[in-house]
Amino acid sequence: MSISFAPEASFSPLLANVHSYASELFEKDSVLGFFTNSVLVALVVLSLVLWFSRKATKNMTLVPHKAQNFFEFIIEFLYGQVEGIVGAKQAKLAFPLLGTLFIYILVSNWFGLLPGVGTIGWGESTGFLSIKAAHDPLLRPPTADLNATIGLSVSAFIVWLFLTIKEVGVWGFLLHTFGPKGGLKGVMGIAVALVFLFVGVIEVVSIIIRPVTLSIRLFGNIFAGENVLHTMSDLMAGTGPVGSFLGSIALPLPFYFMELLVGLLQAIVFTLLCSVYIQLSTTHDDHGHEEGHH
Amino acid sequence: MISATTLIIAAGKVDAIVEKFGLAWGKFIAQVIIFWVVFTILKKYAFGPILAMLEQRRQRIADGEAKLEKISRDATEAAKTSQAIIDKAEADAARLVKEADDAAKALQERRQQDAVASANTIIAKAREAAELEKQQLMSQLKSEFGRMVSDATSRVTGKVLNADDQTRINQETATQVSA
Repeated sequence: MSISFAPEASFSPLLANVHSYASELFEKDSVLGFFTNSVLVALVVLSLVLWFSRKATKNMTLVPHKAQNFFEFIIEFLYGQVEGIVGAKQAKLAFPLLGTLFIYILVSNWFGLLPGVGTIGWGESTGFLSIKAAHDPLLRPPTADLNATIGLSVSAFIVWLFLTIKEVGVWGFLLHTFGPKGGLKGVMGIAVALVFLFVGVIEVVSIIIRPVTLSIRLFGNIFAGENVLHTMSDLMAGTGPVGSFLGSIALPLPFYFMELLVGLLQAIVFTLLCSVYIQLSTTHDDHGHEEGHH
Repeated sequence: MISATTLIIAAGKVDAIVEKFGLAWGKFIAQVIIFWVVFTILKKYAFGPILAMLEQRRQRIADGEAKLEKISRDATEAAKTSQAIIDKAEADAARLVKEADDAAKALQERRQQDAVASANTIIAKAREAAELEKQQLMSQLKSEFGRMVSDATSRVTGKVLNADDQTRINQETATQVSA
């Protein structure tokens, strides 16, 4: 077997054929048309999280058992991080959302690395229970479905808006966004106010874009990871059964470790960005007041 | 101004994106519902109890630390108190020992004085007895010597001495013996 990388060969991308959308498991126009392979995995993730949280919190004792100890470690670590960013007061309110986001995204991301996810499904048959490639896989990680990532970011946005209005009020939010800072008066004050009004408009645009950036960043990373793993698995597909089998194991192996890291990193990035957004909008703006005293 | 053509193109691009990524309200809502179910479950059955347990443990550790500090403080206080008691006991013991020592010395001195007095009395009595005995012996000696002188005189002179002679000889002999 030999793979040719001859310079004269015309470049053709070797990317595997992974759909950019989640496949429906039922008829698209039926009542269950919403039930995609990513919804199925989301339900599995829900069950896993429910099972483990139940196991960890059942018969809790001051001297923790193994599952309780592990879950306590994760929650204590996350709570410490969130508290460090949003402060002790907001942490109590924001942690349930941020903790859920982290756990849900992490489990979803890592679920996509399990053997069979993306490879078991419907495709061109090559024998009994054998297909050439899964065109419509049975399982797809929710974070590789834009519907799910938009859902996560919109949920985060709604909670962000709720916490912000609860903490500073509507007027406080508008003042924080558009209000002039620096305490200048007269002509300079008017000029600065105009500048801050313009900055406020930019700020509003950036706030509106946040759910888009959050969702596309997460989707893009996980979807790209799926593509990389499938491409690596299929790279030696035409080299005979043994070569194909060994290649499908050996070649994607390093990328599995990378995807483990990417999955964790994306969960952290999503959660931390949400924390920072909450911190930015719930911090009381006392600069002008302080400068007035000086 | 944004022209109608631009809006149509934009709408077409949005449609293309929706089509390419399979965006649909039903799928979106299903994903949101699943996430909120996870959120609700975790908030109620995981985060709440776990955070309460962590707080309870933190409180217990804080209480333990406070108790430890109190115990340490009490131990220091107890050590100080016991040291004060020991110091007082030592002082009392030293005082008692000194008093006992003084009393013993006084008793010893008194006993010594008594002993000396007794010894002096005994010595005086012994002297008196010795003197008396000496006097008795001297008296016996004188009488014996007088008798022997009288006897010798009567033998030498061949004269029977009468009572006056004997008395005179005895007196003279006694005087000479005494001298």
